Amino acid sequence: MTLTHADTGAAGAGGDGPYEHGLTEDLARAALALARRFHAGGTMWCASPSWTFHAHHVAVEFVHPVIMGKRALPAVVVPPGADLVASLRATVRPGDMVVVVAGTAPSDPGGADVAEVMRRGPAWGVETVWIGAGTRPPAGAADHVLWLGTDDPLVASEQFVRIYHLLWELTHVCFEHSGLLQPDLCEEEVCITCSDEGRTAEVVAVDEGGDAVVRTAEGRERIDVSLIDPPRPGDLVLVHAGSAIASLEEGRS
Amino acid sequence: MSPETTDFLYPFIEGDERDSASLLADLSASAEAKWGYSERLRQETLALCHDQLASVSAAMARRFEAGGQLFAFGNGGSATDADDVAQVFTRPPRGEPLPARSLVTDHAVLTALSNDIGFDVVFSRQLEAHGGPNDIAVGLSTSGNSENLLVAFRQAAKRGMLTVGLAGYDGGQMGRCDELQHCLVVRSDSVHRIQETQAALIHALWSAVQSEYQAKGAA
Repeated sequence: MTLTHADTGAAGAGGDGPYEHGLTEDLARAALALARRFHAGGTMWCASPSWTFHAHHVAVEFVHPVIMGKRALPAVVVPPGADLVASLRATVRPGDMVVVVAGTAPSDPGGADVAEVMRRGPAWGVETVWIGAGTRPPAGAADHVLWLGTDDPLVASEQFVRIYHLLWELTHVCFEHSGLLQPDLCEEEVCITCSDEGRTAEVVAVDEGGDAVVRTAEGRERIDVSLIDPPRPGDLVLVHAGSAIASLEEGRS
Repeated sequence: MSPETTDFLYPFIEGDERDSASLLADLSASAEAKWGYSERLRQETLALCHDQLASVSAAMARRFEAGGQLFAFGNGGSATDADDVAQVFTRPPRGEPLPARSLVTDHAVLTALSNDIGFDVVFSRQLEAHGGPNDIAVGLSTSGNSENLLVAFRQAAKRGMLTVGLAGYDGGQMGRCDELQHCLVVRSDSVHRIQETQAALIHALWSAVQSEYQAKGAA
């Protein structure tokens, strides 16, 4: 008998460490961000179009920790089979988190929906974590990209378990640093969050008069959309001083 | 280990910590160390279980060849591992799909059994309904002590099924269960690290079954 996969050592393994340089630093930053969101009352939404069981594993890890005495945290699985974008759009609230385990399209058919969810993160006011393997999503595709280089789906699947276990462990370490659970203070001269500069918004409805109701991280608001081509519900636009100044859908189908 | 690297283990009593750089460095170092430990445990376990994996996979392949199917079950994170087992056998990345099901996916059955009888029978009762002498029962636990798994293995043995268990620690009660024919043990006392290596064992088992399995009509 030959064991053709896991006993031979994972492809590309270079010693005991994570295959992707920078993965543990990315994990650390993601854990602190999640701890801050949980601390402020956020809920974690978990999804995995091609490996539903990973979404369930992430959620149960946070809700009912294996280590006794660790607090239960609100984590929920997005119903499998649901339209991921529509389902999350209906349920997430500003301050929440979305954690997805998925590859990128076309190697993972669910990857396109995941990219759409991640793109909407700023408009929905959610922190996004994308755990995956294979072809890395483009820079800025999610707030946190925790990525493996392997193309072997089973090696990737095994290492996803490590990634979210570590994410849970590090998140709980962050809770012991209460002074760091407040968001970083604004240090930029012009703070994008505090000013009204270039906020991402998702169009909810468009009036005939050139106004639109949009959703941003701060909630719903009515804006002027006469400066751009008429947007459609669901489109992302950039809002400045009460007006849409650019569509974020150019070049998209 | 220098004192600086253990700082993160202790809370700042004042809560006035403001610079996240040192925490992030500690978290990253901690993740690196745990990743390395997990990788070593995986390699050691696969080496230790090499002969056992060969005999279990051969026995499983014979059952599949005889038309049997696989039932996987577990609780919590191990329930998601049972789903992993069902997924990799039925929708393999390569090779031939083989019939497998997870016993944790039907909420109607799980709640009916829990409500009417008790949680200890949620798997055994399903095996009673579906299991036959060509079939395979795969139960996953980290402690090795889950009562509903032990009850399920007894039921499976009664029905002539092949019984396979994955456990952690020293195998727990699963390691001493007469009705459990094969028990693959991940010798660690960390639930997380056990589960990470169990994921590798599941895939190694699947891979070995694929190598062993001779489809009807094949040479």
